[in-house]
Amino acid sequence: MILAITIGVLVSGGVYLLLQRSMVRMVFGMSLLSHAVNLSLLSAGVPGWRGDPLTDRTPTALAADPLPQAFVLTAIVISFAVTVIMLMFAVLGHNDDTYRMPATGETRDR
Amino acid sequence: MSLLGTLGVLTLSVILSFPLTRRWGRTAGWPLAGIYLVATAVFLPAVLAVVSGQSPHWTIPWVPVMGVNLALRADGIGVVFSLIALLIGALVFCYAATYLKAERQLSFYLVMTTFTLSMVGLVLADDMVFMFICWELTSIASFLLIARSGRPGEMASMRTLLVTFVGGLAFLTAVVLIISRTATTSVTQALLDPVWQSDPGFGATVGALVAVAGFSKAAQFPFHIWLPDAMAAPTPVSAYLHAAAVVKAGIFLLMRFSPAFHHNLTWNVLLVVTGLFTAILGARIALEQTDLKRLLAYSTVSQLGLIVATIGIGTEAALTAAVLHTIAHALFKSGLFMMVGLIDHATHTRDLRRMPQLYRRKPWSFAVMLAGCASMVGLPPMLGFVSKEALFTGLLDANGAAWVGWLALAGAALASVMTFGYCVKMAFGGFVDGTDDRKVHPTEAPLLIVAAIPIALGLPLGLGVGVFDTAIGLAAEATVHEGTPEPHFALWHGPSAELAVTAVIIALGICFAIWRKRLWRRFERPLTPFDGPQAIQYLRRGTRRVGSELTSLTSYDHPARHLIAIVGALVVLLGAGLSYLYAATELPASRGNLNRPFDVVLLGLIAVSVISVCRSQSRLAATVSLSAVGILMTVQIFLLGAPDVGLTQLLVESLTVIVIMLVLQRLPLRFTKQPVRRRVRTAVIAGLAGICAAAATWTFAGRRDRSAAAEYFLTETKGLTGGYNVVNVILVEFRALDTLGELTVLGMAGVAVVAVLSTVRTRLLDPPPTRDPNREPEATPLLRPRGTPAFRAIHHAWPNVVGLQIVVRFVNPLLAVVSALLFLRGHNAPGGGFIAALVGSCIVGLMYLSTSRDRQIGPPRMPLVLISGGILVAVGTGVWGLIAKGSFLEPLHGFVGGAHLTSSMLFDLGVYAAVLGLILVAFNLLGASAVTGEHPRGEETRERADELVEGELPGPLDTVRGERPARVGPRTSFVTSGRRPKEPGR
Repeated sequence: MILAITIGVLVSGGVYLLLQRSMVRMVFGMSLLSHAVNLSLLSAGVPGWRGDPLTDRTPTALAADPLPQAFVLTAIVISFAVTVIMLMFAVLGHNDDTYRMPATGETRDR
Repeated sequence: MSLLGTLGVLTLSVILSFPLTRRWGRTAGWPLAGIYLVATAVFLPAVLAVVSGQSPHWTIPWVPVMGVNLALRADGIGVVFSLIALLIGALVFCYAATYLKAERQLSFYLVMTTFTLSMVGLVLADDMVFMFICWELTSIASFLLIARSGRPGEMASMRTLLVTFVGGLAFLTAVVLIISRTATTSVTQALLDPVWQSDPGFGATVGALVAVAGFSKAAQFPFHIWLPDAMAAPTPVSAYLHAAAVVKAGIFLLMRFSPAFHHNLTWNVLLVVTGLFTAILGARIALEQTDLKRLLAYSTVSQLGLIVATIGIGTEAALTAAVLHTIAHALFKSGLFMMVGLIDHATHTRDLRRMPQLYRRKPWSFAVMLAGCASMVGLPPMLGFVSKEALFTGLLDANGAAWVGWLALAGAALASVMTFGYCVKMAFGGFVDGTDDRKVHPTEAPLLIVAAIPIALGLPLGLGVGVFDTAIGLAAEATVHEGTPEPHFALWHGPSAELAVTAVIIALGICFAIWRKRLWRRFERPLTPFDGPQAIQYLRRGTRRVGSELTSLTSYDHPARHLIAIVGALVVLLGAGLSYLYAATELPASRGNLNRPFDVVLLGLIAVSVISVCRSQSRLAATVSLSAVGILMTVQIFLLGAPDVGLTQLLVESLTVIVIMLVLQRLPLRFTKQPVRRRVRTAVIAGLAGICAAAATWTFAGRRDRSAAAEYFLTETKGLTGGYNVVNVILVEFRALDTLGELTVLGMAGVAVVAVLSTVRTRLLDPPPTRDPNREPEATPLLRPRGTPAFRAIHHAWPNVVGLQIVVRFVNPLLAVVSALLFLRGHNAPGGGFIAALVGSCIVGLMYLSTSRDRQIGPPRMPLVLISGGILVAVGTGVWGLIAKGSFLEPLHGFVGGAHLTSSMLFDLGVYAAVLGLILVAFNLLGASAVTGEHPRGEETRERADELVEGELPGPLDTVRGERPARVGPRTSFVTSGRRPKEPGR
């Protein structure tokens, strides 16, 4: 199954970036990982059926499973929200190095 | 009903404390004392019933599944302790009405009434769960009463809470053990259970737990430290809680559970030894004290130790004595506390070393003080004398060898000698020996009268102590459960061993009084090098150190280490699981035509782009490659037959790229380079994870037919909802609750961004260029000279965007129409709230990009309004469905002019608003770019974040959210101008 290999490639790239120092690279890694997860969710709906799940246009026998699609749609938007939050952390103090804490005025030991 | 009525009246007193304190301030103590007397009157029928041999009870089921009831039951000790709580409470309220500062004192009366309610609930409870809750409520109330006394009470109250909650946990464990073993939550039935006789080991365990709980409240060693700490609370609190109520709750608990344990040797030894040791230790430390109130606190510790030891003896005689001494102690100790408060008021000190000579100025106070001390040391004819005699009798009555009783008696006698000593110190030190010439204020008569009442009661009660016979017999019966003891208290029993001991004590005490000045100096040296609070401090510091040592094993600030653990676990799990699966079972065959030729093309392109993202050191290049992956994903999704998902992916991808670009302008141009070894290691882990993921997908996906859920949605959607686009219908109708959760998450992401950014000071959030350690010098490309188009294209942003600005004029209205169309057709064709909102967001994006410099889109507060409005609309639609159809989020269908409308479109509108709100937050906050050197006067991020909440402001605020003053308070001003905002106090 070719989709499986695509997922593998995306996961590899995602994990590689996730383990880097820079927050922005980690954000990119999260993006790749969420692509991978979205694909695997879609493939859970059996990629043998690939018709659009629009009942007025596609015969029911050919249509793809709509349930994973609904999941993935929400997952995409949620991962956007996660990306925004992580990017916000990346620019605190103009510093995205996760080995160095950005100064936020908080004392660390609270 | 009398029991319920009492609790009802007490609940009423809690509620009435609001209007009463508002109307009368501190003098609300008088009407509240009246209410307590009413409560006592209501309680009287129950008392009479108990005296006539019944035990009134009242029950309603509370948690029927677990057999937990709200059960009340009055018996001998319940009545005694209720009356103590009510009557002393009334007295203390009268006292407080004069004693406290002339302020509203709401928190005092509110917590005190709540305390009385929970105390009476505790002593009348006949259900262990209910009892435990009342027990904890008394702990919390006593914590609050100490904590409200300002700075000195802060740490003291925390220590009190710590100690009493340790006891609470022990009690909870005991309750759980008892319930699980006896299968009942009723106190009465549990105490009658045969298990206490048949399984002494279990009895010993539970007994020890109950004893720890009782010790923690009754201030027994080593839990005694909280009581002197608690003296930070004002005198009325001490007179009530620390003499008559909360410490007596501990005594009560021991008495209540005594029927189960009093034959258990562990219980006897634990209580007698701890009690006597505490009695001696407390009395000895009391001798050390120079602060009258702390002296009284240690004296309470000591007296309670005597009572605990006597309860531990466990015989009828002992328990009757314990009950009598509890009453006597409540009376004289609350009176003495109030007397100390009176001295404090008169001289503004409680320190014996700074005391003036008071007895000439205040003879009446001196007399009352002497009477109270006489009762405490056990001089005839006071009640204290009778009760102490009874205690000695009780201790002598110990089971086992005769020397046990004598030993116990010797310990108690030693404590009593020292009691005499500190009483002398208190009465003479406070009134006679003082030399200070400070000003003495006149006594407020109500204080003296109220303080004198419980002390003076000791005299007639001592003379006519026979009145207690029946009551205490009944109380002791409740604590022994073996026939009804018939004690005969009297002032004069004829010559006996106890009397001889008392005579010796009094003789030694008188010697003490004579040589007191020489002895005090000897006793005032501290006994131990550290005191209780310090011990707790050491304990806390030790716990902290151990804790931080333990966490340091796994705590890293940078996330990579944690992530390696997670990814590694996944690899191991998948690797091991999959190899087992291949070895042990045969996989079902794949179904259908899983692969299409174009998948291969996409795989190749995606692989190239992913490698490019991973390898590029330039942030810009990585971003471009990432968006390439995103676009290729879109194609793949379309190929999988998911048009809605594909559209969403495409739009989200473009918006993500814009947000990333906004962020990148504030970060260095290139990523930090990693050492080769680390890169190789990371690549190996990543490769393994990828192989596992691929193998897992290959193994688990595509080996079955389309699911039953898919068949259901595909065949039934049209008939049920009238929509053709199954995915959209699932989102807004079938699984609308998921979508509601999701749009809430989206909205909260926006709120979180605002919240975090507004807690960081502006100089740290956007460091000025000179102080920014990460700042790289602005790139200066080799350009043709000034005036050429190439120079202008780089240095003057405005001409660059002219083209876009013209395009936007035409494109934006078009996009708006497209967005509306997508929204409307969502039910039947690809589209819907999400996709329409993302198209709408593209309008925002284009507007943002078409300006030559950073500028806020829309009114400052709009994003948060959109987010909250969206969530409200969505929830509102749900509630509409709940009301109209009886099911939350159930859509309503209707036809308006032939067009099919459903309420799920309104829900979709909520989705639209929330998405748009998040996008606006992202653009406006992450895009703020004041400090680029080129535009020094732009808006900074903090200012934007503040404006999102507060509306238009001239500059960032210098307070941060979550800090006091938390909101725009009187001390808030703008960083730039130092001016104050227009609406302070908001």
